[in-house]
Amino acid sequence: MKQETPGATQAELKQRAGPLPDPLVARFAAVVGDAYCIHEAAQLRTYESDGLASFRVTPGVVVLPTTTEEVVACVKLAREAGLPIVARGSGTGLSGGALPVPGCVLIGLSRMRRILEVDYDNAYIRVQPGVINLDVSKHIGPQGWYYAPDPSSQSVCSIGGNVAENSGGAHCLKYGFTVNHTLGMRMVLYDGTVADIGGPVPDAPGYDLAGIIVGSEGLLGIVTEVVLRILRKPEATRTFFATFPSNTEAANAVSAIIASGIVPAAIEMMDTLAIVAAKAATGVDWPDVDSALLMDVDGVTAECEHTSTVAVELARKAGALEIRVPRDAAERELMWKGRKSAFAAVGRIARNYLVQDGVIPRSAIAKVLQEIAQLGERFGLRVANVFHAGDGNLHPLVLFDAREPGEEKKAEEMSGEILRICLRHGGSITGEHGVGADKAQYMGEMFTEQDLETMQLVRCAFDPAGSFNPGKVFPSPRLCGDKPGLYQPHPTELSGEAWRA
Amino acid sequence: MARVTPGSVDEAQALLAEGGRRVLFVGGGTAMPPGPSVDLEVATSSLNRVVEYAPADQVVTVECGVTLAQLQQELGKHGQRLALDPPQPEKATLGGIVASNSFGPLRTRFGSVRDLIIGVSIVRADGTRAKGGGKVVKTVAGFDLPKLMCGSWGTLAFIATATFRVHPVPEQTVTLCARGGDPLELVRRVRGRQLEPAAMMAVREGTSWDVYLRFEGFGAGVRAQRDKLRDLEETDWPAPAAGPLRIRFGALPSHVAQVAKALAPLGARIEWLPTVGVGFAYSAAADAAAVQAAVQAARRELMALGGWLVADGDWGPPPTSWAVHRSVKERLDPGGLLAPGRFLV
Repeated sequence: MKQETPGATQAELKQRAGPLPDPLVARFAAVVGDAYCIHEAAQLRTYESDGLASFRVTPGVVVLPTTTEEVVACVKLAREAGLPIVARGSGTGLSGGALPVPGCVLIGLSRMRRILEVDYDNAYIRVQPGVINLDVSKHIGPQGWYYAPDPSSQSVCSIGGNVAENSGGAHCLKYGFTVNHTLGMRMVLYDGTVADIGGPVPDAPGYDLAGIIVGSEGLLGIVTEVVLRILRKPEATRTFFATFPSNTEAANAVSAIIASGIVPAAIEMMDTLAIVAAKAATGVDWPDVDSALLMDVDGVTAECEHTSTVAVELARKAGALEIRVPRDAAERELMWKGRKSAFAAVGRIARNYLVQDGVIPRSAIAKVLQEIAQLGERFGLRVANVFHAGDGNLHPLVLFDAREPGEEKKAEEMSGEILRICLRHGGSITGEHGVGADKAQYMGEMFTEQDLETMQLVRCAFDPAGSFNPGKVFPSPRLCGDKPGLYQPHPTELSGEAWRA
Repeated sequence: MARVTPGSVDEAQALLAEGGRRVLFVGGGTAMPPGPSVDLEVATSSLNRVVEYAPADQVVTVECGVTLAQLQQELGKHGQRLALDPPQPEKATLGGIVASNSFGPLRTRFGSVRDLIIGVSIVRADGTRAKGGGKVVKTVAGFDLPKLMCGSWGTLAFIATATFRVHPVPEQTVTLCARGGDPLELVRRVRGRQLEPAAMMAVREGTSWDVYLRFEGFGAGVRAQRDKLRDLEETDWPAPAAGPLRIRFGALPSHVAQVAKALAPLGARIEWLPTVGVGFAYSAAADAAAVQAAVQAARRELMALGGWLVADGDWGPPPTSWAVHRSVKERLDPGGLLAPGRFLV
């Protein structure tokens, strides 16, 4: 999956980009301060990629504002200069959502990390976008509250990035994704106007724009404040770890537990390679088995006791080899650390790997894992699976060795084939990592031209100039106002004022 | 004005593709705001098929004219339900529920329709058919068109089919009531004790609140929670209200006292979801002019607190970010053909 910015070759874009002229850099520096306007080649390199490190593009300039007003000024300057704008939070995204566009103004929001307001009676918190996900829960934890979405990268990823990507996590099976916990936001639009969307009081007359802004991958504007719903901590959490002879039994256990009427807080599944990797990285003393489940139920203590007992029983009936219950909070934390560090841990058993993110109906897990294993045999590559089984969100990690000629390409090809398997089973090409630069090429396999055109209309409603994050999400370039059909260059595009979106 | 009842989504699409007519989509009529007449009314009563239901995946796709009661009956056969309880389930259709963002007290635990919808197929004003979301409970591919349709009042597109996440029917249920209770105090108490009611609703007729809450789930959990609120009486959930004028409003949960004061002149029954901050008022007053004046006054008071109030097609002022809302409408329905005059647009 090499980068292709639709509509123009990399060479063309780079040529068009060039270094930003000094007077322009000076104007950005006047807004954010010299220290926070990064334009020297060596420093710019830090911002060349996000968590999808195989894609690298140098931005024209990086600005690190601290206020909405500074973001407005930067957006206006970029617009005057006809430069594309890419927003970036912590840069942990796995789909290249924060990958720069050649010559762009990269607006880094990591300095906007103030918590602005907490209101327990009304169950919300207002934060700047650079606030780290886990810091929200840390801030309100002493009062017995938390913020539910928990991506594995939660100790480093930012709320602004979560909003852009509609981030999930292990516990969204019961609690939902970022979109279910975002009540409103302040957003800087393409022309520098500031829109307040939604807020702590729900359902105010108007369209549910917050619902479409969350997960829009930075294409609609720049969010500079977010109002999040916060939750009272549950009275109890019960965790168990179960091992199985194969993925089939583990998948059957998941189905049986869900069918019993239990809504687990999380059910995570790991296969052999993922278990080996997690053990190597964190020292958890898990046995070497073919498949394992890690499950949480939470809520009222009496309910948890009941559901965890039933779930354990169902896991045994489905063929569990061994069931472990953590003795204390520390052991529970270690189990979850094993799970959450599994991606990185795979680095210990393979020189290189690609992280895939696809979704299938839960009932198809066993079958799809078999198909993926067959694919691995066909391609001669190993696959580690560690994923959110409860909602069918697979994360096959395709292992390879980039030193072997052709192996990387093979891994990319196989990773793409996995998405096609997901689509054949009625699923999705991404459950939580986003489309970004990585998967735009697969959008046309999940959606029709009309679907994509309809989404583009929404984009054009927010950003008719196509200034924000061009080249992401959508597989084919189109300027607002174009009719579907043959591509015709728009006059503003020819003059370099606008970018293909 | 013509009224047609298409028998398939293809037929509905063909009607829209003819173009040039102002169109209103009509479901069960339970939430339809008043508005000017149109050239064509498209009734959804024959689009009443459950398209696909996978109990093991807890996902269901329905045509827009399926009523909530019909769907619940189908889901009930597999011990499941759509965790959404707006009024008049026998009449209310899923398309209408999505378009009007209808909800009931279960919103306390399960959120509103935006939190349960996972996919949608629509027909745009020009007859273009499109879809968003998917048939799996988790997907972030593409813009979230399903959420954009929630509360769009038929002004952005025809909602042809919708896909929802469904939940298990609870094993046991108990309803408690704090007569004359303070909704905010009870919410604090519930949170303090880490109780998890599926539904909470405060009802006011006169000068005090009765605060209802319902625990659902497996027997052990329901009983344990019930036992932690020993002073509350067990009762039935209050019968749904009815009134010639149904007002929707929103305010911060902590502003409950101001809400009661603002709505008092309407002489209305108030239903308030005290953890969410939204509610309904049913005014029985006969004098239209007096009601109108009371509505305006109540809206002013709520808006001064950051709230809002909508009464029978009177939406009040648009949000401060109106320009971008209007821009979405103009892109999706450039001719202004869909449900003209029935929303802010």
